Amino acid sequence: MNHLELLHYSLTVGFIILLCAFVYFRRLQWHLPFFTAYSTVLLACTVGVSIFYHFFGFRSEAAFNAYWVAVGLVIVARSIAIMELCRYELRAYHGIWSLTWRILALLAVLFLGHAAFDAWGQAGGIAIYGLTIQRDLAISCIVILLAMLLIRNYYGLTLEPLHMWIATGMLIVSIIDTINTAILRDTFTGHLVFWFFRRYGASWSSLRPQVEGATELWNRIHTLGEIASISIWCFALRKPLPAPSKEPVLLPAEIYNELSPAVNLRLRAFNNRLSGMLKS
Amino acid sequence: MSGLTITIIILALAALGVLPWVLRPLRRASRSPETPAQLPIESFLPRHYGYFPQVRQALSGVDREYLDRVAPREVAQAAYRERRGVARQFLAGLHEDFSNLERLARTVAALSPVISSEQETERLLLGLQFRLLYVWVWLRLSTGRVPLNQIEQLTGLVGRLATRMDQAMAAIGALSVPELNSNLHA
Repeated sequence: MNHLELLHYSLTVGFIILLCAFVYFRRLQWHLPFFTAYSTVLLACTVGVSIFYHFFGFRSEAAFNAYWVAVGLVIVARSIAIMELCRYELRAYHGIWSLTWRILALLAVLFLGHAAFDAWGQAGGIAIYGLTIQRDLAISCIVILLAMLLIRNYYGLTLEPLHMWIATGMLIVSIIDTINTAILRDTFTGHLVFWFFRRYGASWSSLRPQVEGATELWNRIHTLGEIASISIWCFALRKPLPAPSKEPVLLPAEIYNELSPAVNLRLRAFNNRLSGMLKS
Repeated sequence: MSGLTITIIILALAALGVLPWVLRPLRRASRSPETPAQLPIESFLPRHYGYFPQVRQALSGVDREYLDRVAPREVAQAAYRERRGVARQFLAGLHEDFSNLERLARTVAALSPVISSEQETERLLLGLQFRLLYVWVWLRLSTGRVPLNQIEQLTGLVGRLATRMDQAMAAIGALSVPELNSNLHA
């Protein structure tokens, strides 16, 4: 590890420790257990990978594999934390939740399927496979979070400030991950593709500076994205958690059955009249 | 850089751009209430359509004929522009009435234990269609190509919708808990 890499690493660990301290100090495990688990996995993986770096060397194959396993765990934990956030935000509104969980699940399956399909058969082994999965999962996180926020906006539902900040942090880290990983993957499947084939071993020495430059830049941007998100979450957790909002009292189902078709019928009539005005 | 990568980067940046918009604090009036008793029914019901008689007076053909007959051309043109402005403002008011009713339907959906995906999809599409048509009618109104009687028909439609909503809200009051009942008929 050079000085810059050490600085990135120390900053990341410092911020993650701060986040975990806030999370457990505010007893978030009773409120958002999977977000708590995500913070813990983030810390465990960062420390775990550093142990591999220490014992096997920063550029060893064991450290490389450990890194990708850690990335996988963090991504899975983040996806579950996002699912928890969506469920927590919408479950009190039974009708909307029963409608939207299918939409969100469909989006998740669609993007996960696309990620698996896209990554399958990629030349370049675990790195390209991992980058493709990471990019597509980050895209699915963005789509699902935006869909959840748009549904909330459409139905005029409030968003608790803590959840808003958590969603913002998740979106920022996913957006930065998407851009960063897409560029790195493009570089590795483009002019640096020879790096992954042993038969081009002769050209590796000339490629090494470019490969290291690309991964270093990727690492730097990834670290910055992570620190930005963690700062947002720490900011949200600086104050004690407010009392959980009361569950809404729901209307009898007959009211919706009475009102909704009547409104739709009139809206359609209104649109027909507007169309008629344009034709005349 | 490949086309796919460029597309992904553009879409990711667009997502970053819309982030402040999707996270903007909702207006207090549009927030979903925690109990049905907190439903601000009055704010949902149409109001602007009730001003149509005054607008009709301002836009009447008799006035126009009178202006053509007695006023200088520039004065008449200025008056027509103002009349079109009034009609546009009234159309904007009808738009607000329409949106309020749509919002009421969404709020009831939010507070309902079961909702229909067909009804919700239909309303979403109708809302989008309405907004497109509204812009188009607004443009035509600005060029003076929409007759007054058609605006009157639209107003009548919103009025009937309001009456229908009043009846529906009365039905809600009769069906639901006493606290809602008292709120609706207060």
